[in-house]
Amino acid sequence: MQTTDHIMELAGHRQEDFSVCMGCKVCASVCTINDLDIDMNPQEFLLKLFMGEEIKADNPLVRYCTSCYRCASACPWQIRIPEVVRAVKESLGIEARFEKAFKKSLDIWGRVYEPFVVIMSAPDLLMGGYIKFLPKWMEYAGFHFPHKVKRIRTSHTLKKGSSSKEGRS
Amino acid sequence: MKILIIGGGISGISAAKVALAKKHDVTILECAEEPGGLMARIANCRVGFKTFLDEIVNDPRLTIIKQGKIASVDKKEGRFNVTLEDGQSLIADRVIIATGLSPYDPVEYKGKRVLTSLEYDQIIDQRNGELPADFNRVAFVLCVGSRSKEYPLCSSVCCSYSLREIKWTLQRAKPAITVFYNDLRYFGQEFYLEKVYRDAGVTFIRANSRYFDEDETGVNVRYFAEGKMKEERFDYVVLAIGLRPNPMLESLSKFFGFSLNEYKFVKEEEPLKTDVEGIYVSGGALEPMNIKDSILTGFGAGLRAVRNGDIGSEVMPVDERLYREEAPVIAPPEGAFDSCLFYIATDDPGARIFYEFVSSKFIAMARDLKRAGKNVYVVTRNVVAPSYDELEYEEARREGVIAIHLEEGETISFVDGKALINGPGREFVLPADRVISFDDYAHLFKDGEFLSLYRSEPQIRWNPTRWGRKKYHVGFIRHPRSERWEKREIFGAFGEMLLDAEEERALPQVNEERCSGCGSCKDACPQKAIEMEIREKVIAVFGPQVATGEPIAHIKEDTCVSCGLCASTCPSDVISYPEIPEKGNKHALECEIPQPK
Ligand SMILES: Cc1cc2nc3c(=O)[nH]c(=O)nc-3n(C[C@H](O)[C@H](O)[C@H](O)COP(=O)(O)OP(=O)(O)OC[C@H]3O[C@@H](n4cnc5c(N)ncnc54)[C@H](O)[C@@H]3O)c2cc1C
Ligand code: SF4
Ligand code: SF4
Ligand code: SF4
Ligand code: SF4
Ligand code: SF4
Repeated sequence: MQTTDHIMELAGHRQEDFSVCMGCKVCASVCTINDLDIDMNPQEFLLKLFMGEEIKADNPLVRYCTSCYRCASACPWQIRIPEVVRAVKESLGIEARFEKAFKKSLDIWGRVYEPFVVIMSAPDLLMGGYIKFLPKWMEYAGFHFPHKVKRIRTSHTLKKGSSSKEGRS
Repeated sequence: MKILIIGGGISGISAAKVALAKKHDVTILECAEEPGGLMARIANCRVGFKTFLDEIVNDPRLTIIKQGKIASVDKKEGRFNVTLEDGQSLIADRVIIATGLSPYDPVEYKGKRVLTSLEYDQIIDQRNGELPADFNRVAFVLCVGSRSKEYPLCSSVCCSYSLREIKWTLQRAKPAITVFYNDLRYFGQEFYLEKVYRDAGVTFIRANSRYFDEDETGVNVRYFAEGKMKEERFDYVVLAIGLRPNPMLESLSKFFGFSLNEYKFVKEEEPLKTDVEGIYVSGGALEPMNIKDSILTGFGAGLRAVRNGDIGSEVMPVDERLYREEAPVIAPPEGAFDSCLFYIATDDPGARIFYEFVSSKFIAMARDLKRAGKNVYVVTRNVVAPSYDELEYEEARREGVIAIHLEEGETISFVDGKALINGPGREFVLPADRVISFDDYAHLFKDGEFLSLYRSEPQIRWNPTRWGRKKYHVGFIRHPRSERWEKREIFGAFGEMLLDAEEERALPQVNEERCSGCGSCKDACPQKAIEMEIREKVIAVFGPQVATGEPIAHIKEDTCVSCGLCASTCPSDVISYPEIPEKGNKHALECEIPQPK
């Protein structure tokens, strides 16, 4: 059963760390998935979760979130959307190829190496009929950050488990 | 008494005016090369600041120390001995902290075409003769460096100053303008201006962005609206940077021993006073605030500092000139229900100044209901929760109140205990056994003489509380907002009264011969101080004499506040101000706050 509490538990965060979201949609403006013209708004994903709506396996974020943490680093509240996405996937019993590739990349290089991630997840793209996005992905794979979305912090410095109340009493 | 004011911004100067009017010795300690602070860096405001400062700059009791830095402070027998780094030493009986705000520097986003609002102000300043050649599309991105984990307060002025930047931009050029916003936290009159610019074609989009892909000739901005990812190209992107506490407050708090609050602003133990006896505080050192409030709190802190036998914070002083009205009560919903929806939106620009008041009441009720176990939604077109009020809104969301932003163009309708939200990008239903809507309360406020509705923009004179010569508005009727302001406003109003008593008022004069009777001045006057009088005129052009009535403008001296708007409006330029006579021979009226009984 997919309950908000259960998802939060899987994500390893308190609900308030996500529900503090103020709806600015900054996350959507930088989300990597939107490089694929998929029209994904991570904020809507959070909202669905809090309204108790069930998130299905075909949700684009569940399918394609690359855990790039771009959303989290641009988000004013540094909300760790990929972690809640991962929790949803876990509750649905899915581990996306992206994720595997991502983890493996971390194992091998100690960082996300996009060309590797793209090659590893190519079958997913093919099966999902997203082959038409491949040129865009190749462009993306060509460099680490394809455009000047300047990053405040990289995923490595965003440590898991720190609460958003940090630095405030 | 010797008064030391730390910070020569607009707030420090305001405090100095009051202290000088009471014939005290004032020293302004400014760490920069010149006084002025942020205001002097804003387009076209340098002159306004200078005029304001010029009124006291030659006062023999005033000393301005430039580039002064404090090395040590000693407190002996209730006096402060302050030693500067260059060895100079000062003695002060009272100290006013007016060190202002520190603008956020978004290094991670800035570029040649992605500018901060401070940089943009330099471009549109009238002194800058040439606008850039490619100036056809400008985007304003609000809330940069505020309302965030790092700095949870709302900076309270950046929505307003972006509107001012739009105004000045459009006065010089006609670029297409887009505003990316979360909320539009305007103040008073500015809600009318918003409407004016909407009607003039400025696009407002309720979605924010941090995707700025800049190249030689422009910036691509991505944002998510109407259920779609959109990308637009602009010539310039202006980041509405937030205003944070001045980091130098840390060292000052160590020198003087006063405390800071958890957000690193000065802790306000009593209105406009720190937790150390003899040390007061005003302007941006308190919280993010605009120029008018910086003046108001400067007047108030100045007054508090020079009064002997300070009154406590709990007493409401009495003075027949002070005008206040009780804020209406907004009662929580009663009876049995599971879900409750608060709808913060109104289409009436005249009611929008109450966004601030209504937002805070609704959010407080929402939190209570959530704690009582209800399902609570706050659906908004605009939540106005400036400065510390944003913390309440944040807490509400943390506690599980579900906040839903309606985009421009989305609609909501209420049927059978349900709310239907509908727009180009989404459609969904919320349970809503109870709906509490802004418009249910709008009638409570209608027809009040709210000062900020008429005067929130800087004008020729700075009158933060003056409504008329014998009427000074404070609290709800000045500007409907958080209660912490009312007590500050009371002190500010007394400071202002003191200065008004000092000042020879220059009344505008209509040249009756040349007045065409067009009535423009009457419409412009915020005080309703102008009446059109019918003047009998005898006309004799060849033949019999005929008496006709012709309207001319008449200014009612007792209600006119000398703001000068009529003179600047008159198309025939026939309203003038006489020279202000030399000051000095007039006795300062005493303006003491009655002691509590
Ligand atoms: C881009 C921008 C646009 C704005 N536009 C508007 C607008 O259109 N309308 C509006 O109402 N408001 C506007 N504001 C806000 C406005 O600038 C502030 O409300 C106002 O300047 C606050 O005045 P202040 O005197 O409290 O502080 P400041 O203006 O910050 O002045 C503080 C002074 O204290 C000095 N100081 C600081 N620390 C020390 C120290 N340790 N020792 C000695 N001196 C010290 C500083 O050098 C400075 O001169 C804008 C702000 C920004 C950033
Ligand atoms: S982590 Fe996932 S949701 Fe966030 S920007 Fe990357 S792809 Fe989008
Ligand atoms: S950027 Fe953060 S706060 Fe803004 S909508 Fe996305 S998750 Fe919410
Ligand atoms: S005033 Fe508040 S809401 Fe408006 S831009 Fe500044 S921080 Fe954002
Ligand atoms: S100066 Fe002119 S506009 Fe201002 S209050 Fe007097 S009559 Fe009215
Ligand atoms: S605006 Fe000037 S011309 Fe018109 S009525 Fe007023 S004073 Fe007369």
